[in-house]
Amino acid sequence: MSDARRSELETLISRTALGDRDAFEALYEATSAKLHAVCLSVLRDRPEAEETLQEVYIRVWQSAARYASNGLSPMTWLITIARNRSIDKLRARGSRPVTAPEDAAAMVACTAPSPESATIMAQERRMLDECLSRLAEAQAGAVRAVYLEGVTYADLAAREGLPINTVRSWLRRSLLRLKDCVSQ
Amino acid sequence: MTDDAPLTPPQEDQALAAEMALGLLEGAELQAAQARMASDDAFACAVRDWQERLAGMAEGLTPVMAPARARNAIRERLGHASAPLANDPNARRAWWRGPMGALAGLIAVGAMVAVLWLPGQQTAPAQPGFQAQLTAQDQALRVAARVDGRQMIFAMESGPAPEGRDWEIWWVEPDGSAPVSLGVLPRSGDMRMTLPEGMEPSPQIQIALSDEPQGGSPTGQATGPVVAIAPLTSL
Repeated sequence: MSDARRSELETLISRTALGDRDAFEALYEATSAKLHAVCLSVLRDRPEAEETLQEVYIRVWQSAARYASNGLSPMTWLITIARNRSIDKLRARGSRPVTAPEDAAAMVACTAPSPESATIMAQERRMLDECLSRLAEAQAGAVRAVYLEGVTYADLAAREGLPINTVRSWLRRSLLRLKDCVSQ
Repeated sequence: MTDDAPLTPPQEDQALAAEMALGLLEGAELQAAQARMASDDAFACAVRDWQERLAGMAEGLTPVMAPARARNAIRERLGHASAPLANDPNARRAWWRGPMGALAGLIAVGAMVAVLWLPGQQTAPAQPGFQAQLTAQDQALRVAARVDGRQMIFAMESGPAPEGRDWEIWWVEPDGSAPVSLGVLPRSGDMRMTLPEGMEPSPQIQIALSDEPQGGSPTGQATGPVVAIAPLTSL
């Protein structure tokens, strides 16, 4: 994401926090197709994704004032709200207890990054695809399924026919490899 | 790092932060990690960094336009719905055919007269228009698409999708990138939408219709066969 786009979205979010409906509409225009894709990716159901998207933007309107304090880039903040909300819906579907706190995106209380670390994070994101392709196919597939489809350790264990603990340590190592690779 | 050696404490922290960001923790572990985020700034930052890192995967997803009714529902639920006369044409299909439409038409004509009549008024430069005529080989399906500035209008002329299916509209860029869904065609009448930023109409763009389950492709990528495709042509 270019710096210009990032600061444009930040401006829209801070104006939304002040109750500016035009800014909120512009934010919807600029980001809803991507967030809808996130909801669809997790829920794989058109009507449910559409309903979830509505809830996501209602939450964005209500919690925009807290955006500045969480230190996330604007797109990550939006994506995280959409992903968490979709995963809540997914887990509610299986009448599994909801575990991901709905407001997890707003909970991160890390002090705002220096411009330098924002640049490093942008660079890591550019490396992500490359680094995923360097993992073994099953590992990369599992990381993607967990992030993009909301798959749990129990799902992965069932899928691979392995105990949960085995799957867990295997995924943790994949994630650490991924981090080592992107932060090279 | 061998697969058998236990993780070092910093690696444990990183793995836990990643699991927190991914929503993989449950029960007591989740509560402990939440408490730690509140008290341990370095850990909170590690979670934040994982959220940033992982969001790259979502940024790679093909965007899927939500139908206009989603936006209207958000407006209504937030109490942002505007007064009837200031209605967005997206709000209801064919609103201009009703009495409000006639009234708005009169107001629009009045506004145009005022604009033309007032000296020194600057009008926005006209944006070029485009159209595409989508027809299936057997001609049963006919859909007219028109781009007017940033507005895009689809008119179903004949050949709605069979029961239980929908025609989904795709915006196809010439660079081979994944087509972007513009939503599903209504079974009759018109559909109107505003093109999002980054989607620039030109004769290089093709519009396609694919055969999808009711409500549209469940994955955000075309799953059924393309039933019609046509390039945008300048009006």
